[in-house]
Amino acid sequence: MDFIVNLASGFMNLFNLGGAQFVSWVTGIIPTIVMLLTLMNAIIALVGDEKIEKVAQVCTGNPILRYMVLPFVSAFMLGNPMALSIGKFMPEFYKPCYYASATYHCHTNNGLFPHINASELFIWLGIANGITALGLSTAPLAVRYLLVGLIANFISGWATEFTTKLVEKQQGVKLSRELKVK
Amino acid sequence: MAEYRSIRVEHGSGGFGGPLTITPTEKRNKVMYITGGGAEPECLAKIVELTGLEPVNGFKTNCPEEELALVIIDCGGTLRCGIYPKKRIPTINVMPVGKSGPMAQFITEDIYASAVTSKQISLADGTEAAPTEDKKPETEEKKPEGVKYSADMKVSETLASQEKKSFVTVIGLGASKVVNTFYQAARDAIQTCITTLLPFMGFVSLLIGIINGSGFGDAFASILTPLAGNIGGLLILGIVCSIPGLSALLGPGAVIAQIVGTLVGAEIGKGNIAPQLALPALFAINTQGACDFIPVGLGLAEAETETIEVGVVSVMYSRFATGWLRVLLAYAASFGLY
Repeated sequence: MDFIVNLASGFMNLFNLGGAQFVSWVTGIIPTIVMLLTLMNAIIALVGDEKIEKVAQVCTGNPILRYMVLPFVSAFMLGNPMALSIGKFMPEFYKPCYYASATYHCHTNNGLFPHINASELFIWLGIANGITALGLSTAPLAVRYLLVGLIANFISGWATEFTTKLVEKQQGVKLSRELKVK
Repeated sequence: MAEYRSIRVEHGSGGFGGPLTITPTEKRNKVMYITGGGAEPECLAKIVELTGLEPVNGFKTNCPEEELALVIIDCGGTLRCGIYPKKRIPTINVMPVGKSGPMAQFITEDIYASAVTSKQISLADGTEAAPTEDKKPETEEKKPEGVKYSADMKVSETLASQEKKSFVTVIGLGASKVVNTFYQAARDAIQTCITTLLPFMGFVSLLIGIINGSGFGDAFASILTPLAGNIGGLLILGIVCSIPGLSALLGPGAVIAQIVGTLVGAEIGKGNIAPQLALPALFAINTQGACDFIPVGLGLAEAETETIEVGVVSVMYSRFATGWLRVLLAYAASFGLY
């Protein structure tokens, strides 16, 4: 009999532990995120997508703009996955490279700006929760995540130019380096 | 007899719904606007110019529903935005409001478009009106329109009186736009919480409860701690995650990375992993980032089929080539963090 009671209480304990975890996240994380998301959504709606597209057309010229500035701005303004649509202003050859950089930008900036990729926030939040549990501030981690991300994402984007050349040779195709004027 | 033409209406920045195609007929030949206490919405002039519809001010007069081809509203998301969609009359909302209010279920993309300005309106046959020339036709077109509908005194009277919006109206409309934008932003934020964040929290909480309660946690930690607890292990983790092919399998929804992140976080919280390693860990668990999404993402960028074929392989290669470097960079930057 005791065995069954222990089993039952052990079984319920799993859900109590899970419930306690859930409550701590809902009360600790949701309020701040709702405030941040609200402000960011409002800023984005007030600025508008059209301005972003104008910036994009200027930014296709050199690697720094292409893999550092433009993906950062698009991730911030459009979020995941719409930031990837800005790749349409690139010549075909650069589209995979922009993709490589922009998708990472949708993560590395998520620490400071959770609106960018709210549905995949736990990559950041999961680790950041550990820092919070130690009683430390997550802000310095978020800032370094963003700054290291800027450089690392630039490298990842640029490196894709070389891998794209490699795959072009493998597959025997050549992608256009010129932007198509429609 | 007026000439009717179809127009295409898309939703504007921050808006929802559309694109709608509005086709006026002999019977359905009126556009009613119920905006700003009777002030003319910015997009009305262009709609009237392009379609030949007769504008009706909903605050001054009424109009049988079967004659309405289109309704323009400026509802902040309480009631009006649902009324006409419910009656299946195409509805344009000048405010950036999505599905909301008591009639939210009737607000669908085939009958409703929001945040619409004159820029989102074009002829349905594909001839896009140049957005920069918006201002000119507006002022020019008002005159013939007044003449055309001179029989209907009420409409022309309202049009005339609204050529010059009063200072108070301008301020009022501006303030309501800002307030409504923020209101909608908050609604979107709550929606994100309900549709993505809370379900994920629920799912991971259950997982954590089971892992911690059953003793699996300690077993997991004994595998994870040596991997995530030092830079060598993190490098290996980063390289493994980015192996071409495997990276695409690890990608979907970033679920695996998010669970690993949560587990690593738990170990940091317990003091088993040094807090400064949080930074390289963030990079190591996500070197596969978006490898599953390449065709869709390139599709969003309107890439050609050839580009997608090359891109899928190329991005996976570059993830593999740069993944370890990202972890090392983060490690170098992590000194002095905590």
